[in-house]
Amino acid sequence: MHVEFLGVPRQRAGISELEVQANTLGQLLGTLATQIPPLGEFIAVDRLHSSFVANLNGDQFISDPATPLVSDDCVLILSADAGG
Amino acid sequence: MPFGYHGCYLRIDVSKGTSEYVPLSAIVLRQYLGGSGLGVKLLLDEGAAVMDPLAPEAPLVFAFSPLVGSPLTTSAKFAVVSKSPLTGRINDSLASSGFAIAGKRCGCDAIVIVGRAADLSVVVIDETGVRMELATEYRGATCRETESGLKARLGANYRVASIGPAGEHLVRYATISHDGRHAGRGGSGAVLGAKNIKAIALRGTQRAEWANPDELTTISKSLSKRSFGPATAKYRELGTATNLLTFNRFGALPTRNFQSGTFEEAAGLSPEQLSTTRSKTRESCVSCTIGCEHIYSLGSGSGVRVEYESLFALGSLCGVSDADAVLRASQRCDELGLDTISTGGTIAFAMECVERGWLDEPWLTFGSADALVRAIDLIGSRQGIGNLLADGSRHAAEAIGHNSIDFAPQVKGLEIPGYEPRALQTMALGFAVGARGADHNRSGAYEVDFSDKVDRRHVTLDAVRHAIDTEDKAALMDSMIICKFLRGVFDDFHAEAAEMLRSVTGWDVSAEELRETAKRIVSAKRQFNLLAGWTPAEDTLPERFLSTPLPNDPEASLSRERLDSLVAEYHRQRGW
Repeated sequence: MHVEFLGVPRQRAGISELEVQANTLGQLLGTLATQIPPLGEFIAVDRLHSSFVANLNGDQFISDPATPLVSDDCVLILSADAGG
Repeated sequence: MPFGYHGCYLRIDVSKGTSEYVPLSAIVLRQYLGGSGLGVKLLLDEGAAVMDPLAPEAPLVFAFSPLVGSPLTTSAKFAVVSKSPLTGRINDSLASSGFAIAGKRCGCDAIVIVGRAADLSVVVIDETGVRMELATEYRGATCRETESGLKARLGANYRVASIGPAGEHLVRYATISHDGRHAGRGGSGAVLGAKNIKAIALRGTQRAEWANPDELTTISKSLSKRSFGPATAKYRELGTATNLLTFNRFGALPTRNFQSGTFEEAAGLSPEQLSTTRSKTRESCVSCTIGCEHIYSLGSGSGVRVEYESLFALGSLCGVSDADAVLRASQRCDELGLDTISTGGTIAFAMECVERGWLDEPWLTFGSADALVRAIDLIGSRQGIGNLLADGSRHAAEAIGHNSIDFAPQVKGLEIPGYEPRALQTMALGFAVGARGADHNRSGAYEVDFSDKVDRRHVTLDAVRHAIDTEDKAALMDSMIICKFLRGVFDDFHAEAAEMLRSVTGWDVSAEELRETAKRIVSAKRQFNLLAGWTPAEDTLPERFLSTPLPNDPEASLSRERLDSLVAEYHRQRGW
């Protein structure tokens, strides 16, 4: 599926998007932590640190590592504190 | 008297040039803490709710807090509280830095100013007492010019809060500025301007003792250490401006007076792009370890502090994509002492009125950088169309007619900040019920929308309790006072807040007591508004948001029936 980074996740990743193969959110995060070490500080095994959140297709926010993903999904990773 | 307080406030009558220290009971301090809470309590005691906020007798409160002056990070903050000349309702604005510390060292927990000076003056408070000095040479001066001029005159160790030309001209969303920061919303600068007071200059030497300094030091070190961690990375590394692209991606970036939730040229205004062509420095408020201020260079050696709210209000909301123009406009607002959100909101509203042919100012068009800067200058001086716009979008809509109130971007008269309510519907509720009007600092309900607790575009009654929680938490943080940018570092905020207050005051305060304190403060604001004439019809949003889905996101639709049901449930859960 497609992964987009916004805000601090984008800065840490050094890229704005990439393609990843994963069946669940937990698998996706594990892969990201391995492929992009600067994100590792914000990923504990298969969960995001509370300062980051994940969103599926611009609709619902997801946190359960078992959340199923399909190949044409778009997962957005962004900072949790949306306010300013 | 509890530790952490002086047990009195300083009441200054600038008509008579007199002052007195008025005792504050320990009960009142424990019930309202300080900052916003104490300010509202003092306003209620003064009978301010039924006064014209620009009348001489209307009080303006600078409220400090028990934590000010302590080693707790981000605690150097003060609240400015008054009846708003923009909304006619309660207004509490917060600002940071040395003025808070100096004010408390003047031996008081708050300063209440009433009256009207015969000529433009500065109130000076120092170890010799309280006095007034003429400040006529600063007429028309910017906030920074006034601050530096008064420091040169009085001494570098004075701390100065001042108004710019906008405050002198009673612009209803004029700010009070200190050290480049602003008590920004609701027009407290106009209230001070109406008193013919250009500035307040402070120098103090009195310290409030802490109940348990060793424990306070331990707590402070722990908090500071956590403030360097991932929970504050956003503020430290990119600043609030990073919201711009995130909100645009979610269709929640208000654009062209809320006619769209996406701005096709947002990338050019983003901090990621701004930093590729401009040098940037980072600054902190006094006693802050986060350092959220990102200052971008703007030619000729000057710099401008860039925040999301300024970028949205002066950028996408007005359809302006020229980054230099948006930064210049933000800088101009700072110089004049104008709230950038209300400035941008009112100008964007006027631009739409021009587009519809209801306002004969053909130069004032969406996307025009020159028009943006010109309009700001006219507002700051109340010249031409600026005289109408200086009263805010609600007043302007009433004058323009044509049912333009339906798209005036305000609630209770306060312009809506950068959160598209149709795309963030828990925030829509927070805006509708906010005591000071549409505001993101008194309701953090956007946090709920950016979580898995709700479906942000189809919120149900379940969202109400979350909205109430964020409002209560904000009331507590604004009264203790501690910066909301720390909120992510706490595992259990109320328990840690109780620890902080115990170490400073010596009270056996619990997390549960603080939850009740927060509700008391929210209720006090409502009580003020009821006395000022609040009616249930005010707790709503402009018609545009309730009858028109976002053009590029049909799912972002909020009906009047649904908002009304959310508001009714909010009132029910509040017990109102």
